[in-house]
Amino acid sequence: MKIVAAVIFAGVLAGGPVFAQVPYDRIVKAESEPANWLTYAGSYKSQRYTQLDQINKQNVSQLKPAWVYQLRAGGVFETSPLVVDGVMYMTEPPSTVTALDVRTGRPLWTWTPKIPDDVIVIGSPPVNRGVAVLDNMVYAGSIAGHLAALDAKTGALRWDVTVDDNKLGYYLTLAPLAIDGKIIVGVSGAENGIRGFVDAYDAKTGKRLWRRHTIPAPGEPGNDTWGKDSWKTGGGSTWLTGSYDPDLKLLYWQTGNPGPDWNGDNRPGDNLYTCSVLALNPDDGTIKWHFQFTPHDTHDWDANETMILFDAPVAGRPRKLLAQANRNGFYYVLDRATGEFVAGKSFVKQTWADGLDAKGRAIAKPGLEPTREGMLVYPSIQGAANWHSPSYSPKTGLFYQTAVEMGTIFYKGEAVYNPLIGFTGGGGRTLNTDDSSSAIRAWEATTGSLKWEFKLLSAGRSSLLSTAGGLVFSGTEEGNFFALDAETGKPLWDTQLGGNIRGIPMSFAVDGKQYVAIAAGFALFVFGLP
Amino acid sequence: MQIKKRWFWAGAIAVAVGAVPARVGAQNNADVDGGRRLFQGMCAECHGAGGTGGDAPSLNRPRLNHAPDDKALARVIADGIPNTAMPRIRRFTESELNQLVAYVRSVGKMAQDRVPGDAKKGAAIYKNLACSSCHIVAGEGGTLGPDLTDIGTMRGAAYLREAVVDPGASLPKGTLSVLSRGYAEYLPVRIVTRQGREVRGIRVDEDAFTIQVRDAAGRSYSLRKSDIEVLEKQVGKSLMPSFASRVAAPELTDLVAYLVSLRGTEP
Repeated sequence: MKIVAAVIFAGVLAGGPVFAQVPYDRIVKAESEPANWLTYAGSYKSQRYTQLDQINKQNVSQLKPAWVYQLRAGGVFETSPLVVDGVMYMTEPPSTVTALDVRTGRPLWTWTPKIPDDVIVIGSPPVNRGVAVLDNMVYAGSIAGHLAALDAKTGALRWDVTVDDNKLGYYLTLAPLAIDGKIIVGVSGAENGIRGFVDAYDAKTGKRLWRRHTIPAPGEPGNDTWGKDSWKTGGGSTWLTGSYDPDLKLLYWQTGNPGPDWNGDNRPGDNLYTCSVLALNPDDGTIKWHFQFTPHDTHDWDANETMILFDAPVAGRPRKLLAQANRNGFYYVLDRATGEFVAGKSFVKQTWADGLDAKGRAIAKPGLEPTREGMLVYPSIQGAANWHSPSYSPKTGLFYQTAVEMGTIFYKGEAVYNPLIGFTGGGGRTLNTDDSSSAIRAWEATTGSLKWEFKLLSAGRSSLLSTAGGLVFSGTEEGNFFALDAETGKPLWDTQLGGNIRGIPMSFAVDGKQYVAIAAGFALFVFGLP
Repeated sequence: MQIKKRWFWAGAIAVAVGAVPARVGAQNNADVDGGRRLFQGMCAECHGAGGTGGDAPSLNRPRLNHAPDDKALARVIADGIPNTAMPRIRRFTESELNQLVAYVRSVGKMAQDRVPGDAKKGAAIYKNLACSSCHIVAGEGGTLGPDLTDIGTMRGAAYLREAVVDPGASLPKGTLSVLSRGYAEYLPVRIVTRQGREVRGIRVDEDAFTIQVRDAAGRSYSLRKSDIEVLEKQVGKSLMPSFASRVAAPELTDLVAYLVSLRGTEP
């Protein structure tokens, strides 16, 4: 009898979740195993595209919920789950990590870090956008300013390090990026007068290997773009996951607004390297090149939006490119080997610049800085783009982006450094909801030339997933989850999930069936074909 | 900064951190002047110039329901008032908050303009005009338009006068929990379906794929946008007719006085 029971148990195990190691090489080749979703945006290229095509234009209208996972507590739910060999790793607000059986949605383990009652989270809700996996560990940041490594099988804590002091406003909301033996993270906190940085940690031990400040210290190139001591509290946070090119051995990380946000009086100059992308050597964090999207920003136009890496011919020549739809209203294409500006175009109504010059620098109009009385500028304080994920389909060559059409009346206020209440120097009031809108737009990735748009009701936080099945999945502020035809933008399927959709869609397969996952309201929904 | 809300800095901070600065201190003329400028920029759109009321309650009264003292007033500004249109505004420094409190208190000390007119006569006019066919006061009346039970605490006299004369110019904002904040409420819509059926009514709710409508007879409609040929949102209009030609000036003043007197029912 004992033998029979053991055999049966082994059989159950074989069909159940299998915990496999995820060596770096698997993440490099993530696109070759689309059943899994091994890193935040699907691959190091951050295209948020799946090769899976079982769900396609012909059958998407038949999608049905496979299972639903309810949060144990409320909160703003912005996770992008990972799936590894039958296990889903996702985060719950504010900083809990949970592993689920992908076949059933049943939890396998959950881990919640200690968050002090007086935790400082200024500039975003207390959210978490996902984890990284590497070898047999799961890595997650917390709003307490920590980075933790958990055992992938049980959730047991392997190590925990303080990235930086939350009492000074540092906190983490991003999914870490795992590369060869290293865990890369950035920080939030530019509304608190932090000095931003990108950190690399030894994946096995948690030892910090290097730190690259996004604001140069005196004596370093670029410090002269700040006034006096303003660099010390100059912001430049790094709050969203970067991208990586293992062939070029370049790590791309985006930076946020300078601080104080809306009062630039004490920080004359371009304020390098805020509102920029930095191309870093992953071995030591040295800067290989940089490109600044918004010099001397006073409208809170962080450049932290996801950067998509893709290869395409430009003027007949194959190029390795990096593209971003920036919060400032312009879409940029750069050569990712050199940082050279290739193309750029506004993708929303914007009133602050007369276009881009030959080097991609915005030709800013004078006199549009925030004032005490208020100054109306487009795009809004939340930006034309934000943390919500864009997508790129190598099949269509289109860049997909939720474009927010909104203006804000920007106010300048006093700027007094106090990390307890923030260091912002003003604020803004966005125009009425009926006077704003958003749309999912698809444009040629190499030029920014618009191909189609699908209008949404309100300015939402709609992340996008494109698929080899010819679909683009997204959700709305009003709770619609839907699929569009990736070539035309025509709606093919939609359903109502009953809570605003801040989640980031991804796709995986198990037992030969494709699924799509999305967080909405206080629950994670997984859809599949019947 | 990563998020969204109509009052951005307000919405941006989801976790109350340092809460309200503890010291809300002495007030002087410089504070009042500074507060006036801040108020004109951030508050006047809803509370009216000089705090005389508009979309939001008037503040030129000695006692504010949610802010009996200066500390409470600072807290209302920083934290907002739940389930109302009053957002939290966390962008102010301690000194700016002090200035704003000083200014709002100075407005409250001004000799309050008594609302002219006879509220009793106004009540009779309200009845004669059959306003209650569409509006509830203290549980009685129709449901097509907003409940007016405590409209006097929510809106200033000038706004209420306009609402009677030109209802489309002053559609309610922030009074309903559906739609979400910031949308025009009671917005008239005209819809023609692909089958040629016409629906007129007010928008009850809407998303990217559907719209819910209630017509003047109280009938409800649920429509998919893919079935709709024409969706006309009549911004600036109202299902409520203008009473400009039906109410003479003195009667209008009485009617407004009556509306201002509506301050809710005791629980």
